[in-house]
Amino acid sequence: MKRKKFDDAELNITPFMNLLVVLVPLLLVSAEFAKISIIDLKLPEGRGSQTSKAVKKRPKEEENKLLLTVIITDSVLTLGAKGGFLPSLFYQEFHKYIPKEGGEPVTVKYDPKDPEPPTNAKTGKQFTIHERQEILLYACDDEYKDLHKVLYNSYGEMITDADGRAITEVEVGDSVYALSNPRRVVVVKDKSEFELRPVSVYDELQNRLMKVKDRFQDAEDSDDVIIAAENQVMYDKIVQIMDAARVADFPNISIAKLRG
Amino acid sequence: MAKLRGRGKRTRKPGGLMLNSMMDMFTILLVFLLKQYSAEGSILTNADNLVLPNSASKKKPTEVSLQVAVTQEMILVDNSPVVPTEDIRNIPLDNPDPIDPKLEESLRGHYAQEEEMVRLGALNKVDGKCVIQVDKNMDFDVLYKVMNTCGKVGYNNMNFAVMERES
Repeated sequence: MKRKKFDDAELNITPFMNLLVVLVPLLLVSAEFAKISIIDLKLPEGRGSQTSKAVKKRPKEEENKLLLTVIITDSVLTLGAKGGFLPSLFYQEFHKYIPKEGGEPVTVKYDPKDPEPPTNAKTGKQFTIHERQEILLYACDDEYKDLHKVLYNSYGEMITDADGRAITEVEVGDSVYALSNPRRVVVVKDKSEFELRPVSVYDELQNRLMKVKDRFQDAEDSDDVIIAAENQVMYDKIVQIMDAARVADFPNISIAKLRG
Repeated sequence: MAKLRGRGKRTRKPGGLMLNSMMDMFTILLVFLLKQYSAEGSILTNADNLVLPNSASKKKPTEVSLQVAVTQEMILVDNSPVVPTEDIRNIPLDNPDPIDPKLEESLRGHYAQEEEMVRLGALNKVDGKCVIQVDKNMDFDVLYKVMNTCGKVGYNNMNFAVMERES
């Protein structure tokens, strides 16, 4: 019978409500939703601008150096080091536009010879450069026809075998590796968790860089990578390459220019 | 049963507002906002007409330094327009050491200011640090020329500003 008393007892939530009503708008106003961060370029001391004279002086002291270089042009991405190059990654470029007026994003193939942006089917106007949301690079064969497709898992990570080769088929019970640093072992339980997708050259680049890192740990400059780009390469691509390099544990990034 | 009866009673009360669901919502909102609140505030401000590229970088800018912004129309140094981007594009491509005189002059002014501040004891040393904000659709050529000019003046410690990718 005593319990009946408690039935009517209610918490006085008014002060808490007052608190919420003040705090929520305050925090909402001061919240930053787009966070800006920075990428540190670790240029060697006193080498802000290196002219051709300086380049000629250098080579002798670099016996044990790897001089790892990522070369990007408007259709090829290549990884090179002292003494050789890995096979080039040919790529096709796709641009994803999100219409300003709202609606479905549009992904179109980009042709470097015809750089005009596509027209918006709804309004009949050309897309502006600010509507371009993403630049996607997919690896293809050397005739620029077929896109390579490999397996990705549901988190959007590329799947490789133990040697770091991309794979196209899995069976239940296989153990495969998801591309993260370090590589994560995944045992296949359900094949539907994996799907064939065009392979992004940034993923393949990260994969190759991680292999290089494993193999040449004793090189003097095993943290360094140089990104060499052609004149018309867009800045966005360079930032994505820097991301791949940083994930693959090459924190010291320098930038060079390909003379074309 | 006791609970059910209690509920029924409350709704029947004339003029009583159901605050429970609103409280729930506010509490979740409050926790979310508190979690993403940063006490530091933002040091970098995004220049107008400039879309920064997305990156996975989590590194936060820690101190105020010189800001060079490269938009499609103008190059800005500390938010004041200095030279049209077109001028930078027009520097010949085969120039091994491309430098824009107007940008160089403006940067030298800022560098001299920093040196003056070191002399007065307001700064420890001139660390030559600058943050470069570049539009993500900018071609590499322009970036290279701007970086070369910065390096020539003495701003060797360059950082790129990027948008942090959510996830």
